[in-house]
Amino acid sequence: MTLLQVRNVTKRFGGLTAVDDVSFDVFEGTIKALIGPNGAGKSTLFNALTAFDRPDEGSVLFEGAEMVGRRPRDTVHAGVARTFQNTQLFDEMTAGENVMVGNQAHQRRGFSAAMLRLPAAVSEDREAREEAGRLLRLIGIEEWVDVPAADLPAGTRRLVEIARALATGPRLLLLDEPAAGLNATETRELVQTLFRVRDAGITVVIVEHDMGLVMAVSDEIVVLDRGRKIAEGPPRMIQKDPAVIAAYLGEGADEDA
Amino acid sequence: MDTRTLRALAPLLTAAVVAVLPLLVTDPFLLRVFTFAGINALVVTGLALLFSYAGQVSLGHAAFVGLGAYACAFCTVRLEWPWLLAFAASGALAALGGLVLALPSLRLKGHYLAMATLGFGLLMSLAFVEAEPVTGGVDGFGGIPFPAVGPLQIRTAASLYWLVWAMVGIALVAAFNVTSMRPGRAMRALHGSELGAQACGVDIVGVKVRTFVMSALLAGLAGALYASVVGFVSPSVFTLTASITFLAMTVVGGTSSLAGPLAAAVLLTLVQYLDALIPGIPSETAQTLQSYQEDIYGLAIVLVVAFAPGGLAGVWRRRRMGGDAS
Repeated sequence: MTLLQVRNVTKRFGGLTAVDDVSFDVFEGTIKALIGPNGAGKSTLFNALTAFDRPDEGSVLFEGAEMVGRRPRDTVHAGVARTFQNTQLFDEMTAGENVMVGNQAHQRRGFSAAMLRLPAAVSEDREAREEAGRLLRLIGIEEWVDVPAADLPAGTRRLVEIARALATGPRLLLLDEPAAGLNATETRELVQTLFRVRDAGITVVIVEHDMGLVMAVSDEIVVLDRGRKIAEGPPRMIQKDPAVIAAYLGEGADEDA
Repeated sequence: MDTRTLRALAPLLTAAVVAVLPLLVTDPFLLRVFTFAGINALVVTGLALLFSYAGQVSLGHAAFVGLGAYACAFCTVRLEWPWLLAFAASGALAALGGLVLALPSLRLKGHYLAMATLGFGLLMSLAFVEAEPVTGGVDGFGGIPFPAVGPLQIRTAASLYWLVWAMVGIALVAAFNVTSMRPGRAMRALHGSELGAQACGVDIVGVKVRTFVMSALLAGLAGALYASVVGFVSPSVFTLTASITFLAMTVVGGTSSLAGPLAAAVLLTLVQYLDALIPGIPSETAQTLQSYQEDIYGLAIVLVVAFAPGGLAGVWRRRRMGGDAS
């Protein structure tokens, strides 16, 4: 079943067309990767998919519902969660508290219930805490639960951000360069985490530079170059695609690509 | 005694000390000073929610204190409402003022809220002078009755002190509940990273507006208490200087903390009355200190921001962590 339909999305910045008429589908239960040389428009497209940016044209349908023009929190409530290329953790809060914020979407009790410490608010709080613990165990970083985010190693920060995104209860998880800044061991752990997430029934879209990771985890890959989609298909096909090879070789010996 | 027991007992011990103080200090002037410290603590508790937790700056909180004070004066004297009703109305009016200011300005990013609150503060301090039929203009508004709950009049220095500090206690418990549960996490989250908070589905504008309204409400209640304790309200009290003083107390108090700003509010209030507190101090020294009061507050903000961004609370947290490690 198609979970996400991207249709003719175009985004311009002044004279530059950062994303040019891009369309693709994401099927439920799969991991899809968005790759491309630097400046190919991956992050721009990513922001358009999560309502952090509004495309000039095109539509983004999640379970058939239009996401363009809505607010980021609407997409979260609809079941789309994301992480950031530069991790956006709450540094003064512990890893556990960070994940609990992700759980907010499911909580109903607001200021007045909290002020009076109503039983409903207290039990909701306890559930959020338990859920945060469960997610940190799922990701395998439960020993960091009480450590302030500012004191976490880079790899753990990425994983906490993934746990926090999972706490929103998404059906679709979008990860923006989750392996950036990770060492080889951390990257291997990330691969395991991604499989665990997929096996939990959550569809994943990743933007990633690490080709080893992309080839290892993706069911399908979309390749962007200068804003346009130049190829789409399973990893084996993409590796042999002449247009893709040209795009990457054409960029010269760029270490990132 | 381990740190956990100490942490659990500290609020109770502090409350006990605050409660028995009037039995030890009988000088009515000194009690009045400690009552003012409580009124400032009430304002600063609200400002701590806004600044120390949600990371939003208000440069106009004296305006909300003023709104509460004049509303209490008007309701008790002109409308002859019972005190409790006037007290509640004062808080409600300040909260409404907070809502009206917050709704448009909190949609904007960055320093717009600070600018809007600054403008609001200046505007209100003018309005307190100009709206003479309601506020009494530059001459002020006098004859405000003491607080009374039903037939019970609260007029001795000790009972006024207890009333004010009971309100501080209630406000602290409410603020602690808010900050330790879902809304508090949302507040700290948007302080930490608005992008991250948005990605978690946090209603950023909603949380900011609610926090701002709650902090304006506490400022309004503090203003009503001030009017009832002093019996006289003058526009010279609710100026930019007062707003900066409240902000200085909050900044010095520190981030993600209620205890820090509380301690800072009390300490920085007492600085204003050094001559009364330290009997031996030469009156010239006290006067010099008082005339440099604003500079001292300004310097305190600069020093805290430059050397201890976590404020008193941050210093305390670091010290405790250092202790745990050794």
